[in-house]
Amino acid sequence: MELVEVTMAQANEITPLDYTRYDFKNPETYRLRIPKGLSRSVVEQISKFKDEPSWMLEYRLRAYDHFVERPMPDWGPSLAEIDFDSYTYYANPMLEGETKRKWEDLPADIKNTFEKLGIPKAEREYFGGVGAQYDSGTVYHKIREDLSAKGVLFCDTDTAVKEHPEIVRKYFGRIVPYNDNKFSALNSAVWSGGSFVYIPPGVDAGIPLQAYFRINAKNVGQFERTLIIADKGAKVHYIEGCLPLGEEVLVGDQLTPIEAIETGQPVLNSDGLETTVEKTMVRPFDGELVHITPVSVGNAFELTPEHPVYCIPRRKVVAGHRTHRQWSDVDPEKLLKASPEFIPAGDLEPGDFVHYPINRTERDEPGFGTAALTLLGYYLSEGCVQKINGCEAVTFTFHIEETRFVAELSAAIQELTGKTPWAAQQPEKHAVSVGVYSKELYGFCLQHAGKLAGQKQLSKVVMELPPEKQRILLATYYNGDGNFYDRNGGTVHRVMTVSRQLAFQVQELQARQGVFATINVREPFDETMPDGRTISHRRMYTVYHQVGKHAEAVRRAGDAFLVPIRQISRSPYHGNVYNFHVAGDNNTYLVKGFSVHNCTAPIYSTDSLHAAVVEVVGEPFSKVRYTTVQNWSKNVYNLVTKRAVAYEGALVEWVDGNMGSKITMKYPSVYLKGRGARADILSVAFASQGQIIDSGAKAVHSAPDTSSKIVAKSIAIRGGQTSYRGLLHVAPGATGVKAAVRCDALLPDESGRSDTYPYNEIHEEDATITHEAVVGKIGEEQIFYLMSRGLTESDAIHLILMGFLAEFAKELPVDYALELNRLIQLEMAGAVG
Amino acid sequence: MTALTTPHTLVIENLHAEVAGKEILRGVTLTLHSGELTALMGPNGSGKSTLAYALMGHPKYKVTQGRALLDGQDLFKLSVDQRSKAGLFLGFQYPQEVSGLSLSKFLWTAYMQRHTAQTADTAEFDRELQAHLGYLEMDGSLLKRSLNEGFSGGEKKRVEVLQMATLHPLFSILDEPDSGLDIDAVRAVGETVAKLHRPDAGILVITHYQRILKYLKPDRVHVMVDGIIQLSGGRELAEELEAKGYDFVRPVVPQATN
Repeated sequence: MELVEVTMAQANEITPLDYTRYDFKNPETYRLRIPKGLSRSVVEQISKFKDEPSWMLEYRLRAYDHFVERPMPDWGPSLAEIDFDSYTYYANPMLEGETKRKWEDLPADIKNTFEKLGIPKAEREYFGGVGAQYDSGTVYHKIREDLSAKGVLFCDTDTAVKEHPEIVRKYFGRIVPYNDNKFSALNSAVWSGGSFVYIPPGVDAGIPLQAYFRINAKNVGQFERTLIIADKGAKVHYIEGCLPLGEEVLVGDQLTPIEAIETGQPVLNSDGLETTVEKTMVRPFDGELVHITPVSVGNAFELTPEHPVYCIPRRKVVAGHRTHRQWSDVDPEKLLKASPEFIPAGDLEPGDFVHYPINRTERDEPGFGTAALTLLGYYLSEGCVQKINGCEAVTFTFHIEETRFVAELSAAIQELTGKTPWAAQQPEKHAVSVGVYSKELYGFCLQHAGKLAGQKQLSKVVMELPPEKQRILLATYYNGDGNFYDRNGGTVHRVMTVSRQLAFQVQELQARQGVFATINVREPFDETMPDGRTISHRRMYTVYHQVGKHAEAVRRAGDAFLVPIRQISRSPYHGNVYNFHVAGDNNTYLVKGFSVHNCTAPIYSTDSLHAAVVEVVGEPFSKVRYTTVQNWSKNVYNLVTKRAVAYEGALVEWVDGNMGSKITMKYPSVYLKGRGARADILSVAFASQGQIIDSGAKAVHSAPDTSSKIVAKSIAIRGGQTSYRGLLHVAPGATGVKAAVRCDALLPDESGRSDTYPYNEIHEEDATITHEAVVGKIGEEQIFYLMSRGLTESDAIHLILMGFLAEFAKELPVDYALELNRLIQLEMAGAVG
Repeated sequence: MTALTTPHTLVIENLHAEVAGKEILRGVTLTLHSGELTALMGPNGSGKSTLAYALMGHPKYKVTQGRALLDGQDLFKLSVDQRSKAGLFLGFQYPQEVSGLSLSKFLWTAYMQRHTAQTADTAEFDRELQAHLGYLEMDGSLLKRSLNEGFSGGEKKRVEVLQMATLHPLFSILDEPDSGLDIDAVRAVGETVAKLHRPDAGILVITHYQRILKYLKPDRVHVMVDGIIQLSGGRELAEELEAKGYDFVRPVVPQATN
C-alpha cells in the first residue's frame, strides 16, 4: 500500500525487542596479539606483522613521536580517565594477509558474530561490497565482480599499501596529517585495517559499499584507517557500521570484571574460601534492580530482585523488648545463634543482616619481610614511582615533622636496596622528600602497589599474606594517610584514598585483622575558590573503624561479619545481567564483599578506545557519500577524525549518526578547494545516561562559488549530554559562498544537556551565511494529542523522537533505519513510566 | 437509531472540573446516544472546551466530582490512550504539530492501536482514506507532510475530521470544527461530519455559531453558561440563539443552577 511508509509497516511487525542481538561476546582468541601498552616497539611490531614497506614504518614512527609530545586536547569533554597504557593496540584473530573472500572460510566464532549482526544478508540484499573488521584484523572483504570489472578497488587498507602503493602514497595522510591532533597521531602510529576504496574516472559504483567494525575484546583499541578516492566524475556511497561490545560486571572481593572471569578461575565463596568458576552465563534483563546499601555505604551493590542473598532477617533476631535506639533492638545471642539463609534480594528489608565473610586464604611468601611491608605501606600513602633524568626512582613526601616515619622508611629502604636514600628538606612546603634510585624497588612498588594515586592497588600476593604480616603494612599505611580521632569513648581510625580498589582491599585486610571497617564515598565535586579558580575534587573513599568500644551496628559471627542494611531502593534496568556457577556445594560468590547465591549481578564496564582516521578525496565533479551509524557500547571512547577534500564541482556528503559510546568527539569536515564544490553534512547525536556526544561539522570554503549545508540534530535524554561544535570558514578570495547551518536539539525529559559552539570565520563580505539553532522539549500538549488517538505515552514520545530524526533516518538503508527505531524505543522504555 | 444497531451511551453525571485550581465545570449532566448528533453551544469561557478536555483526560484539567460512563465504563478510571481505545474521540480546536511524523504514518499508527496484524485491513484502510479525502476536498499530498506542520487553519480542521473518520470512534467530540474557516470550508467539514455520522456512533459538536449546524442538522442542542447546561432543546434553539444572542439565555433562566 502506497500511502503507508515502508519503515513503519515493517516496524510494526518487529517482534519483541531483542537487545541481546548485539550484546554478546566471544572468547578472546587471537592469532596475533601484542601485550597491552604503547611504546615505540609496539609500533615497530605492528609494522613488522604487516611486513610493511619502510616508508610506512617511518610514517608510523614520526606519528608516534608526535603523539607522545602532543598534549591532550584542552577543550571538549574530559579525556583525563584515558590511560593509554591500559589498552591493547593490536589483536588480530587471523594472520596478516589472511583476509577471507569467501564467507564460509571464516573461523566459526567470527562468522557467528557477524551473522548475528546480519552481514551476509546485508551483502546479498543491498551492497556492492562488504568488509568486516574484528578488533585489529580485517577478517573479510569482498567486492562484487561487476564492480571490480569496472576498475573499482575495495579492499582493506593494509592490502592497499602493498597492492596499490602508487595510489595510497599519493593520498595517505594528505587529507588528515598525522599531526592534525593527538588522536590522528595515535591512529597514524598504530593503525590497522580500515577500508580502501578507489573509484576510477566516470564510474558510478551504484549500490553502496559497506564495512562493519566490531571491538570484541575488552580494553582493545580499534584504529582503522579508511581512504576513499572518487576520481573525476565518479560516484560512490560508503557505509560503515560500528557495533557494540558486550559489557562487563564486577563481582567478588577482588572487584574483577566478570568477563575477565573465566571457567576454572578462583573466586571467593561465603566461607571466605576459594572456589572455582564452572560456568559463566549472560542473560538480558528488563525490570527493576534492587540497590542494597549496607551501613558501610561504599559496599552498596545491585541485584535482580529474585537473586538470593545470604543473610539473617532482622525480625528473626530482635529482642523481646523494643528500644528506640537504632540497631539496638537485636538480641546478640539470637543473632550469633542464627544461621544465615538465602532470601531473594527483592524481599530484603532495611535492618536485615547481610553476610560479609572474611577472606581466609593465606599464602606466606618468605620474600616479604618487615622491611618490604613497611615500605609498601608508606608507598601506598606517600610514595610514587618516577623516572628522574631517565633513572627509575621511588620517592616519598612526608610532613616535615614526621621524622619518625622518615627514619623508619629510610631504614627499610636501606635494608631492601643496600642504598642510602636521600632525604631533602623542603621548608617552604613544610615537607621532606625521601627517595632512592633503584630499578628493583621501582619494579617492586609498581608490581605490588600500583602507580598513580587513583590506581593504587595491592597485588594478590600481598592480599594473601598471613594477617600478622599484613598488619605491618596497615600500620605504616595508616601512619602516612590515616588520621585518628576520639568519638563516643573510642578512637576512630580512618584513611582516605581516591583508589576504589585500594579502599576495598583495606576493608578486606582489616577484616582479616578481625575488624569490620566501613567504607563511605564522597562524590566528586567542583569547588570555586574566592579568586574564581575551580578546584575539582575526585571521588574519595573513606575507610574507617572504631577501636576501644564495640561498634553496635556490625556483629562478628565466626568467620564473617553481619552487616545491617541501611537502605534499599529500586530502579529500572534494561540490559544484560551476568552470573556464573561456582564449584563445590557452597554455591555462593561475593558481590562487593557480600555473599550472594550463584545468580546475577549488574553490569560495570571497563573502557575501549576507538580512534579512526577517515580521508575522503572528491576529485572534480565526483560525488561521495559517507554514512556512519555508530552504536558502540557505552564504554568506548570514540575519537575519530574524518575529513574530505572536494575539488571543482564535486559533492561530498557526510551522514553521521552517533548513538553509542561513552564519549564521542567527531567533527566530519569538508575542505572545499575547487570552484562550485559542495558539502552536505548531516550529523545526529543521541546521548543517554552516562554518555557525552560532542560532535559537529566543519566546512572550509577556500574556493569561489562553493556551498555547504550543515544540519545537526541531537537528543539528550536521561542525563546524557550533546554538544554541537562547528566551524564555518570562508577564506579570502572565496567569493560567492553560500553556507547554511541548522542545529536542532531536543531534550525530551529535561535531564539531558545540549550546548552549541558555532565558530564562524568569514573573510569575504559577499558570503551568504544562515545559522539557526533551536532547543526543543516535548510538550505535554503534543503527548496528549497523540495519546488521544490511542498511543501510549512511550509510543507517543517515540513517534515524536523518530519524527525529529526523520531527516536522518530516511538517508539510511532500511536495516539501519529499523535499528535506529528499535534503539530509541529501547531508550524510551527506560525513560517513561 | 435503528433497531439493527447496538445502542451506545455516554452518560455525564454532575461533572465538576477545575483548571489551575479554578472551578470551570460546576455540575454538568448530559447524556449522548449513538445515532444522535448533539450541538453544545455557549459563549466564550462558558466551559465547553473544558468539558471536552476533561472527558479526554488532559492532565491540566482536574475532575473533582462526577462520573462519565461510556457504555457503563467509567472514563475517569482510564488513561488517555485507553479512553481513545474505549471509543472516545476529541477533535481539537488547536491541533498539535509533530515535525517529521507524516500524516499518513500517524493515521496508520493510530489505526493500528485498534487492530492487530491479523485484523488490520490495509486495502480497506486505504479505500476509506481516499474516500474521506474526497469528501473533505483535501489534497492527498498532505498525507506525506509532517503532521499539521505548516497546515492552514482549514487543513488542520479537515485533518481532525479525517482522523475521526479513520478511527471509527463511538463518541466524538468536535471542539469548534468551524472556527477560523471560510464559508466553503465550513460546508465541506459540516457535510463530511454529517455523512460520517453513523447510526452506531454519537457526535457532540461544540460551536459558537449556527452556520455549521445548517449542514449537521443536530438532533439536540444544549447551551452551556458558567459551567453548567442552562438550556436544552431541539434544532430550533440554535436558530433562536443565532437571532437573539446568548444574553437571552441568562435572563430566561437566571437561577437555573439548581
